[in-house]
Amino acid sequence: MIPLEYYLAVSSLLFTIGAYGALTCKNGIRVLMCLEIMLNAANINLVAFSRYVANATGQVFAAFSIAIAAAEVAVGLAILILIYRMYNTVDVSKLIEMRW
Amino acid sequence: MLDLRPYAYLIPLLPLSGFLLELFFGKYTWRRGGIIANILIFISMLISFGIFYNLYFEGLPYTEYSWQWFYPGIVLGVVVDPLSIAMCCMVSFVSLLIHIYALGYMDEDPSKALYFAETVLFTGGMLGLVLSNNLIQLFIFWELVGLCSYLLIGFWYYKPEAAAAGKKAWLFCSVGDFLFLFGIAVVYKYMFAHGEPLTFSNIFIHLEEGVIPPEVLTLVAILMLAGVSGKSSQFPLHGWIPDAMEGPTTVSALIHAATMVTAGVYLVARTFPLYLAAPHGMMIVAILGAFTALFAATLGLVVNDLKRILAYSTISQLGYMLSVLGVGGVVGAYAVGFSLYHLISHAFFKALLFLCAGAVLHGLWNTRCIYEMGGLWNKMKVTAITMLVGSLALIGFPLTAGYFSKDMIVEAAYEFAVSGDSTLAYLPWIFLTIGVLLTATYTFRAYFTVFTGKPKTYLAEHAHEASKIMTTPLVILAACALLFGAVQKPFYHFVSTTFDYLNLAHLAEMGGNHVAHVAHHEHAHVPITIKFLPTVLSLTGLGIAGYFYYNHRIDVGKYITRDNPIYKLLWNKYYIDYLYKDIIVERIVVPLAMFVDSFDMYGIDGVVNGIGRITMSIGKAARKIQTGDIQDYMVPFLIGIGIIAAIVKLLGVS
Repeated sequence: MIPLEYYLAVSSLLFTIGAYGALTCKNGIRVLMCLEIMLNAANINLVAFSRYVANATGQVFAAFSIAIAAAEVAVGLAILILIYRMYNTVDVSKLIEMRW
Repeated sequence: MLDLRPYAYLIPLLPLSGFLLELFFGKYTWRRGGIIANILIFISMLISFGIFYNLYFEGLPYTEYSWQWFYPGIVLGVVVDPLSIAMCCMVSFVSLLIHIYALGYMDEDPSKALYFAETVLFTGGMLGLVLSNNLIQLFIFWELVGLCSYLLIGFWYYKPEAAAAGKKAWLFCSVGDFLFLFGIAVVYKYMFAHGEPLTFSNIFIHLEEGVIPPEVLTLVAILMLAGVSGKSSQFPLHGWIPDAMEGPTTVSALIHAATMVTAGVYLVARTFPLYLAAPHGMMIVAILGAFTALFAATLGLVVNDLKRILAYSTISQLGYMLSVLGVGGVVGAYAVGFSLYHLISHAFFKALLFLCAGAVLHGLWNTRCIYEMGGLWNKMKVTAITMLVGSLALIGFPLTAGYFSKDMIVEAAYEFAVSGDSTLAYLPWIFLTIGVLLTATYTFRAYFTVFTGKPKTYLAEHAHEASKIMTTPLVILAACALLFGAVQKPFYHFVSTTFDYLNLAHLAEMGGNHVAHVAHHEHAHVPITIKFLPTVLSLTGLGIAGYFYYNHRIDVGKYITRDNPIYKLLWNKYYIDYLYKDIIVERIVVPLAMFVDSFDMYGIDGVVNGIGRITMSIGKAARKIQTGDIQDYMVPFLIGIGIIAAIVKLLGVS
């Protein structure tokens, strides 16, 4: 069996990639995708720990998390489409209407 | 008869409820208001007299009823004893007569219902004050009657003088009330430790144990006397009553002659044991009262306004009542009887005099200067005769009520004088005796000028008698002023039993007073010449007034000039109003107020606004971090998660 550490390594790698992407990408759709990557890193963690402690709860959580992520993407994309219609851009660094 | 003592609380409550009834529904009742007030005061009067019957004829014990209010020790309650019940009977009776009179007097006033609402509120407040069994409740009602006085003086608020007079009365009383409240606070500070209801009786009982140190007692006595001075218009806060005459005459009769201004005297009578136990307390009261009696009488000699003459005589008579309480250090509890007896007979004859003056004013379209009247005897028979009765009672003409009450006061003052070891003790007697002479002179100066001689103006020629509803109370009051003297001895005895539950001799010893006879007033050895001196003097005063103003043997106009320094001094009221207004108010109070106002504007407001301004500038700088870029927000978020993870790791939470 693949030891737990391998999963954790992959998961933290994915999370870091996602976080980097979320912080640096200017395209809103890309930011959204990076968020998905971070979520999936967490899902890998949940499933791995679930196997490790031989308890199915973590897998159930992962299933929930995936479902919620799907809903979140739907909402996020809808918002982005609306933003695009209004501002003609999805560049998050230009969407600074709500500043001081 | 039914024991009415447990229903004593209804005596003030009925008129107080009448305030709301009269205010909201008064104008829909018979002749636009007044009838509800009359009925409620009548019921209060019946209860008062019922309780009087219980106490005096059935000999039921004196008692008090207390209800816990808030905080251990603060109670609401009524006290039923001769002092309070005698006052209640007088207040409700005189108030009823004045209310009946006002039905006629205020008939044409557009806000008749409002007038009755305010007077009935006043009557309730006064009855509540009289029945209070503790200082806090007394103070609340004390302020309530002060408020009603303010409202009613300014009842014709569209007259600038009336509005100003109301304000003056309020300010003068406030000065006294502030000090009075301070005195109450001092008493309560020493009494709270005992954890008992702070009623008058409990305070006096603890006083005997020496709970309050003597020098503090003297302070309390002086502070309370300041309140008395404001309310009862004694020197140096005497200046507001003459101005208060701008209100309706019925108000002057009810508030500024018969009832409210006697509240101060009542307070001293109620706290008589406290004054007895306070070193020098008695002496201060005696001299202050006697000085005011003389002082106001001299001022009464020169004013030309009929109502103001009566106002000064009220101040002067209140001085008599107060000073006889002060000589209680020698004559004991009977002093309370003397004072209250004069208070009640004064209420009768002074209410009568004011109501007569009201009838004169009513007949002469509100002319108040006595030199514009004259010759009214033939035109206003009832008023003239009843006013003669009132004037005779006021000067203490033999066999009227004033004769019995005032003579006793002067005699008591003489006893005080001879028993005291200092010459200071002679002052009250001297002041009061001269006051008797002046009282007779100024009273009959007014009487002769108004009712005899020839009419001096067109209005006086066409004066007419007032209606029946106004003359009936005059006749009843005149009968009281004549016949009240008959009950002198039983009255003294009845009232002086109020403080029988206390050891007055012991209290007097604490205050350094040598009471000659605490329990029973055996007649002291007053020489016959001294005994008849007041009567002789009042008749002399009457003669002087007749000589100048009835026969016109001497042209007084020769002396009434600006060149006569005495006249000038009196005309300017000893410059005391100038002292208050032009020096104290304008030189001290106004600059102080300006300083305080600027401190408020720039000091207090500066701090408050400064804090606001600092907060705003911090916010202005700090809000720059809100860039609106979500990625900027994400960085601290991720850092925060990292820190939390690190803490969890370091603390080893699993």
